Amino acid sequence: MILTPEVLAILILNAIFAFFGIIAFVLSVRIFLAWDLNSVSQSQYILEKQSFLTATIIKYIFVIKVPLFLFFIFTLDKISNVLTGAMCAAGVVDATVYGTYLFMLKILNIYIFAYWLVLHNEDIKHENQPYTKIKFGIFIVAFFLFISELILEGIMFSSIDIDKMVSCCGTLYSSSATSAISSIFAIDTDVLLYVFYGNFAFIILFYFLKQKYLFAISNLVFIISSIVSLIVFFGTYIYELPTHHCPFCFLQSDYYYVGYLIYALLFIGTFYGLVTGFVKNSKENIIKNYKISMLFNFLYVILLSLYPIVFYIKNGVWL
Amino acid sequence: MKNKINVYLIEYAINAILRQKSKSFFIVFVFTLLTFLLTSVFFITNSIRYELDSTVDTLPQIIVQKIKAGRHYDIDVDAVDNILEIAGVSDAVARVWGYYYFANAGVNFSVVGIEQYENQYKNSFDKIASKFDLSEIDSKVSMVVGHGVKETMHDSYYKEYFNFIKPDGTLKRVNIAGVFEADTQLESNDVIVMSKDTIREIFDIDESKATDIVVKVANPEEIPMVVSKIKLIYPDTRIISSEDLKVSYQNIFDYKSGIFLALFIISLFTFFIIIYDKSSGLSSEEKREIGILKAIGWRVDDVLKEKFYESFIISFFAYTLGVGFSFAYVYIFQAPILQNIFVGYSQLKTSFELPFIFDLQTLFLVFFLSVPIYIAATIIPSWKVATLEADEVIR
Repeated sequence: MILTPEVLAILILNAIFAFFGIIAFVLSVRIFLAWDLNSVSQSQYILEKQSFLTATIIKYIFVIKVPLFLFFIFTLDKISNVLTGAMCAAGVVDATVYGTYLFMLKILNIYIFAYWLVLHNEDIKHENQPYTKIKFGIFIVAFFLFISELILEGIMFSSIDIDKMVSCCGTLYSSSATSAISSIFAIDTDVLLYVFYGNFAFIILFYFLKQKYLFAISNLVFIISSIVSLIVFFGTYIYELPTHHCPFCFLQSDYYYVGYLIYALLFIGTFYGLVTGFVKNSKENIIKNYKISMLFNFLYVILLSLYPIVFYIKNGVWL
Repeated sequence: MKNKINVYLIEYAINAILRQKSKSFFIVFVFTLLTFLLTSVFFITNSIRYELDSTVDTLPQIIVQKIKAGRHYDIDVDAVDNILEIAGVSDAVARVWGYYYFANAGVNFSVVGIEQYENQYKNSFDKIASKFDLSEIDSKVSMVVGHGVKETMHDSYYKEYFNFIKPDGTLKRVNIAGVFEADTQLESNDVIVMSKDTIREIFDIDESKATDIVVKVANPEEIPMVVSKIKLIYPDTRIISSEDLKVSYQNIFDYKSGIFLALFIISLFTFFIIIYDKSSGLSSEEKREIGILKAIGWRVDDVLKEKFYESFIISFFAYTLGVGFSFAYVYIFQAPILQNIFVGYSQLKTSFELPFIFDLQTLFLVFFLSVPIYIAATIIPSWKVATLEADEVIR
């Protein structure tokens, strides 16, 4: 059990989230089942009022959740000082079996909540609110994911054993490790880079062709290819160390917190890319989403490509 | 997700806050007090931890203690030679020290022995060794004391010398040669420095024994290796490295502020309830206001947004105020009263300056513990207000 002030703060906020989440969930189920815009009954009238409360709660949770996610990583970095062997958040995530799942769930939930908000904003623009039923249906699913995230987080923090030795990111993210992560090191770097830049080229292509489904799908693939290439290739240039592959260490002050920028660019870029395919929008909005997605993905690629190039200019060799 | 910030709504929200003077004042007052308390506690722990961490840096890298029957026991001085032979060890010194209980004042002095021509394991001892002659001259011995010790002795009318009571009941008279200064108050306040021979006499420690052994390693990366080698040669020892100390300090202070926070949750919860109650109770005037707003065309969303701005502005203002106050309280006034919780009560309590540490994480931590909780408490009341029917209220 680890009970630093940071962990306690996260747990307190989780309790509040759970409380409001349950209210929103109950209301969502009611709205999802009984929503009928053409009805003039009292109950429909009440439901319409309640939909505002639900939307406000979900907005609230999302708005707090995003900075809290960064704070969560910050906290893991701090806990790593206490755990023997851990040097950054990677060690803490790996300290329990729940860590990795929690992390994936957290990222997934942020995407889902952000998607929900876009849908909601689109919905309230129209007089007849065409997406109301769908959006509350989505929240019902999201609620279960969200609650399991909260529970998993509680379990993870309570099962961290301070006296147990954990692995450092240097061993977790190396080709000699036996975990699932290490299998990505088997991929040839050249192939990986072709995939990464090829993927990006497809995004540009579909941007000009305005093929929204293909654009969204290539963005989805881009999430995976960019994270894998970040771990295998670009990370080593950020650290200027051929052996260090950790995707967490560059979130620390030694690398000027550049990781937060990298992940923010990737998230915004791919998220808006996905939105173009999944939300029916007005014409100008779609173009706007295309542009935002393109801009942030472009910045992401530029930023990461600069690391090896600058390294090559400085040292005259590739790692 | 295009939530454009509406300046007019913000203006309206500020005016709404100013209109309800007594209510807003009450909320800001309580909120500021809470954040102030919380921030102060975190600032104090951060500063003390920083102070301790820098003290740990001046401590020896490795301390070897002998353990017998689970208790700390005197170690053989000969062990020093064996430890010196380990590759990577640049120096090893047998320390003789202990706590002397001065019953008259009810305090413990830390009595540390040094030898004049030995390598000192602490910088401050180097100064003492070069400045004072602590060896026995004409059966008169002397010692150097810390500030706190000097004052305590003065209170008991020991001005020039002090009588130590030996284990056999006889007295040992030691002259006070001077007062010594160390880099940090924390390490010097309760310390008495004298020659090793004098300490051996006072505590009745054999010539061949020492309290513990400190080891210096040239390359800090090799410390874990050296530790395991010493452990192999002397399985009956407990070996403490400065890294271990740092970790346990962090644990202690996290624990202390964690306990505080756990108690604090209750007041947070109370606060939550009060806010909920305050913002639910609407006066007829406020109801009229909402009614008019809706009648002139405000949507539910607009009212919700305005209420959100209102609660965000008021909570963020109180948060900044609380943090600002606690900066002043902790770093300018040195946190009177609250400091005692962490430093502890003892007559020889070390009084030290809290060094200024700017830790962004603390500010985030307090932010997450205050602003979102306040906003959460206002969600349902705001919604109730926003969905009021215009015709019902105005009528």
